[in-house]
Order: sequence, then structure tokens, then C-alpha cells
Amino acid sequence: MRIHIPIKNKYYLRMKIKVYFVLLVLCICPVVSFAQEQKLSENEIAIFKHAVKEVSKKIKTLSTDFVQYKHLDFLSKDIESSGKMVFVAPSLLQWQYKKPYNYSIIFKSGKILINDEGKKSAVDVGNSKIFGKINKLIAGSVSGDMFDDKEFAISYYKNKTNTITRFIPKDANLKKYIKQIELTFDKDDATVIQVKLLESSEDFTRIVLKNKVLNAKIDNSIFNN
Amino acid sequence: MQKSTILYSIISGFLVLIVSSCSSLNVVKGYNPVALETTAFEVPYFSSPETDYVYKANITVYGNELSGIFIAKKINKTTHRVVFTTEFGNKLLDFEISETDFKINSIVEELDRKILINTLKTDFRLLLKNSYVIKQQYDNQESRVYLTEDGKINNYLFISKAENKLDKIVNASKRKERINLFFTSENNIFATKIVIQHYNIKLRIELNYLQTQLN
Repeated sequence: MRIHIPIKNKYYLRMKIKVYFVLLVLCICPVVSFAQEQKLSENEIAIFKHAVKEVSKKIKTLSTDFVQYKHLDFLSKDIESSGKMVFVAPSLLQWQYKKPYNYSIIFKSGKILINDEGKKSAVDVGNSKIFGKINKLIAGSVSGDMFDDKEFAISYYKNKTNTITRFIPKDANLKKYIKQIELTFDKDDATVIQVKLLESSEDFTRIVLKNKVLNAKIDNSIFNN
Repeated sequence: MQKSTILYSIISGFLVLIVSSCSSLNVVKGYNPVALETTAFEVPYFSSPETDYVYKANITVYGNELSGIFIAKKINKTTHRVVFTTEFGNKLLDFEISETDFKINSIVEELDRKILINTLKTDFRLLLKNSYVIKQQYDNQESRVYLTEDGKINNYLFISKAENKLDKIVNASKRKERINLFFTSENNIFATKIVIQHYNIKLRIELNYLQTQLN
């Protein structure tokens, strides 16, 4: 006896198979990505934190080029900008965009100095807690030393070449601006090579640091606007 | 405020009203009314769904200066997504806007003011509007002017004859110019510079096109 499957059911069956296939792929994919990225053990975390702290302790000055990729999910391409960042311990910081516009922002003893294509302005943030935190966060992101468990819920991962740390702010105010910060460290020298700031699950800013120079002499006049 | 200053402002306010109502608004002074050559005009500057429109924005509002990145993208036939971020990339506001609908995806607390949102809504609608129905046409040697109506508000589109490019939009009530938009475009595909100048409030928005792929 032949079993007769109506055309409608055949179609349904084919669709069902397709759905199962998609589900199967979806199930496998996370396994693949997790295989590339492993959680650090308690012991590895301790060793890693020690290495980063040792390196950042030695940082008196740091200058680096950067490329920033702003990812917004609805855009076809990331928005790229680039420039230079200079940090002098403990808290002088200049963040300078050179392309596609000239814009620099200096964090200096409770003040933010801005130079927008030659237009200069200053904001006094001496008493602003949130700016204090942002300043600390940027300096920390670049030097790598921001393992403050009071401020962040921190998790540690590794892949073949890098160690990745994820920081989720505990402060509700800070959380409004940044959902998560992800720092990628070079495994060899324990310095930060990428900073990723997540605003939501779809939108983030990724900053790649390159040509890093440690402890070169920096002329402090660059911190004047 | 002192009593005399209040009195002075009231009187001068009335004076302005009287003077302005006597002299009717004449956006098209020096232009001659002509027969309509066409009944519709399409603005190309934000019309492509493939393009990410990214601009450096400088805003002057009552003497204060703000800057950031203005991003617009046509996400379907009627709607644009508009995002404003700081130079660092933090999102300050995120709207979806069409001629009839308006949705706030997100806005930071500091900017979450009704008056500000309404102003931006008007500005962005004007900036992103793709097509106009023309009611009247005026001409002079250099430009054509298309008069379009939007309820009680008129929009005058100034088109250069030489390049057939939209240079300016004057948004006006029957008596008063409210907003002017100035466009600079080299290719008539997108605008390299846009200035949105308000006349009823002290607000000026300048947008400069950014080449956002490095190399």
C-alpha cells in the first residue's frame, strides 16, 4: 500500500526540516564561539591581574595611535575615526581625533578642555562624580588597571592570542551611559590593544590601539588648550 | 526682572507685532510669479536607502555651543533613523521619524525635554523630507522658487537654475520666517554642508559631511 502524502503536507514537512536545520546550526554556533573563548581559572585570573598591575605601575607616560569604529546596527558600515592618545600618570589625558575631523579633549585636574576645529572651550567638572568616574575609566582602560570589584562585575576570558576582560558597571548612573566595557590584552606584554564600549546589544564603539610608546618624555604643554 | 524692563519688552513686542502684520511677509521679493513647470519636487540629499549620512554637527543654542555626530539613514520608504552621538561615540538621542510618525528609541536624561524634542522633530522633518507638492512658482535670473504648503506653514524651495540644485528652504508662517535651511552640494546627490537657522529661537545647527571610511 502506498502512503499518499498530500502536497500541502509535503511542503509542511520540508519546512519543518528546514526549521530543524536552522535550529541545529544555531545550537552548534555558540559552542564553536565558546570553544574559541575560554573562561580563566581563579589561578589564571590572579596571575593575569598581577601582570597587568605590574605593567601599569611602570607606566609613567603612554602615547598611542588609535582607530575608532562606531558600530550602529542600522548603518551599512562602521563610522571610522582615528587619532592619538597621550596619558601621563596619574590622571592627565589627551584624546585627539585627527580624522575625519580635528577634535581634542583633555582631562586635567577636574577640568575638561575641548578643542573643536580650533574652537576652544572648558568645562569644570571638579565636583562631577560621573566625570571623575569616566576619567578614571578612560585612563584605566588604556593602562589596563581597572580591576575594581566595587565598581564593576568583572569576568575574564582568553583565546589563542589575547586575554579579554569584561566590566559591567555597578553604578546605576554610569550604567546609563555604558552597559559594558571590554578590554582586550595582548597575552605577551599584558597591555591593552582594544577597548570596546557597549551601549546596547547592537551598538558599540570599538577602539583599536596601535603604535604604543611607553614612558617617552611628554611635553606637558600638550595638556593646555 | 525690573518692572520697567517688563513694560519695555511688552511694548516692543507689540511694536514688532504691529510692524510685522502691516508689512506682509515677502520671501520672494525680486522674483516674478510664473506658470508651474512641474507640480512635484524631489530632494535628493537624504533619499538613498543605501547611504549612511554622517555629519559633524555644531549647535549654537542661546550662546552655548554643542558638538557631536549627526547620523541619518533611510530605513524604509517613509522613515529615517536619526542618531546624535558625542565625538566619542556615546549615543545622545535616537529617533525614528517620518512625515506622520515619530518614535524615540532612546534619549539621554539631559536632553529629554519636550520643547527640545519638538524643535528637533520639526527640524529633522524639514531636513529629511524627500518630496514636495508645488503650489506656486516664482523666478528670477538665477533661481526658481517653489512654494509648497504644509497646513498653515509654507515652505519655499530655492533652486539654482544653473545646476538645478536645492540651495535653500525657507520655512515660514503667513507672517514670519521661522527656519531657514541652507544646503551646499557639489554633486547634487548629498549635501556637504547644511545650516539650519532658526529665527523665533536662538538656535543654529551646522552640519558638515564626514568621509567616514579612513585610508
